[in-house]
Amino acid sequence: MSGTFALRTVASFLPERSVAVAELPELAYLGPAERQLCADLGIERIRTDPELDALHLAAGAASRALVAAGLGADQIGALVAVESRAPTTLMSSAETRLQAHLGADRALTFSVGGLGCVSMTPALLVARGLLAADPDLSDVLVVHGSTPATPRRYRHPVTVSGDGGMAAVVSREGPLRVLDVLQETNGHYWDLFRVDYRDRPSARWSEQCRDLQEYSFTLALESRDRLGAMYRRLLDRNGLAPGDVARNVCHNLSLGGFRFLEETLGVTIAAACHDNLRDLGHLGANDVLLNLATEIGTGRLREGERAVLISASPVAAWSMVLVEVVGDPGDFTVGDRFGQQPEPGSAGPSRRPTAFLDITPAPETDV
Amino acid sequence: MSHNDPSAVVAAFLQQRFPHVEIAHDEDIFALGLVNSLFALELVMFVEKTFGFTVPSDEMRIDSFRSIDAISALVDRQSATV
Repeated sequence: MSGTFALRTVASFLPERSVAVAELPELAYLGPAERQLCADLGIERIRTDPELDALHLAAGAASRALVAAGLGADQIGALVAVESRAPTTLMSSAETRLQAHLGADRALTFSVGGLGCVSMTPALLVARGLLAADPDLSDVLVVHGSTPATPRRYRHPVTVSGDGGMAAVVSREGPLRVLDVLQETNGHYWDLFRVDYRDRPSARWSEQCRDLQEYSFTLALESRDRLGAMYRRLLDRNGLAPGDVARNVCHNLSLGGFRFLEETLGVTIAAACHDNLRDLGHLGANDVLLNLATEIGTGRLREGERAVLISASPVAAWSMVLVEVVGDPGDFTVGDRFGQQPEPGSAGPSRRPTAFLDITPAPETDV
Repeated sequence: MSHNDPSAVVAAFLQQRFPHVEIAHDEDIFALGLVNSLFALELVMFVEKTFGFTVPSDEMRIDSFRSIDAISALVDRQSATV
């Protein structure tokens, strides 16, 4: 189809400290059945570091992606951030703060979002639109630092959230071509999950589900129908059969989530999703890029092969992204879970703050 | 256990999925707080696959899956239409 674009590099930035899910303080307030449900999600540990907020995570990943692409921050034409679910301050601009941290002075800078963990897809759509509309623009940095909106990590009955940053340099050419993007929403569910915050201190912020039964049943069935139809449409309009897709990559929500997608779509969810679910938990909008990069960085998705990135959010939003490895992905990925580890002090954007240069891998420690 | 006794089949499935919880046949499994969206789908798919029918759209509502008894009644209704 027209308007194809590509990812030049993808990078992650994860906190080095981790905590075991079984030791999360909120589990003490759950009943035995709820605790069992949490244990059955398939998440053993999450990464989190109270000293790293969404900006640090985003900037760390962005710096790595730029270094891997051989770009200085002042060379990128646009910086598209996926907005944080809970900005540190109101009225200020987290996006231009990131721009200043990186030194991306020339970059057209703004954020997209509003679709929960599907929000990476509109960021890619915006990057595609910018590249198509402006011939002078060659590289778009898409970036997100993911931390949960509330102090509680366990989101009953869905998942356990960890922290992590992801970034991608999006261009017209690159080793990972994006062949097609589908996205749908249903506004009926706009406040199915929400966090009331205006009348209480942040320590008491808590995610509430408007109607657990509606979430557990009505939305679930709609998701089954939507995702099934979208997957067929994606393959049909690209002239592909299911066997032409080497890997199917989704969010790290739970083992039950993987089973659901496998049965709904008749596919096998990629091994990277299982590994990252177990070790990192859910990283919001970053999951699909992280899992895709892990598949490529570990050599499981190779040149000439295609993958489908499957996203769903209780907002409710659904998306499918079809990608193909068209070049040598040797230096494509950089980060903690895949591919090459960045070298301390490696050449990067000159105005990158020193705090973000410290990417030396350190032994994992408990928080 | 045979498919002639759908309530026993469904109860065994739930017991396997939630081994630490005793679920009465008339108990609302959604009210127990055990069920997330993905399990709900798993349940629908289990019923369709095990009992060999596609749940029609007018039965695709939470009341048809609320309890072991409700699911058993759904299976009986669909068997009667074959």
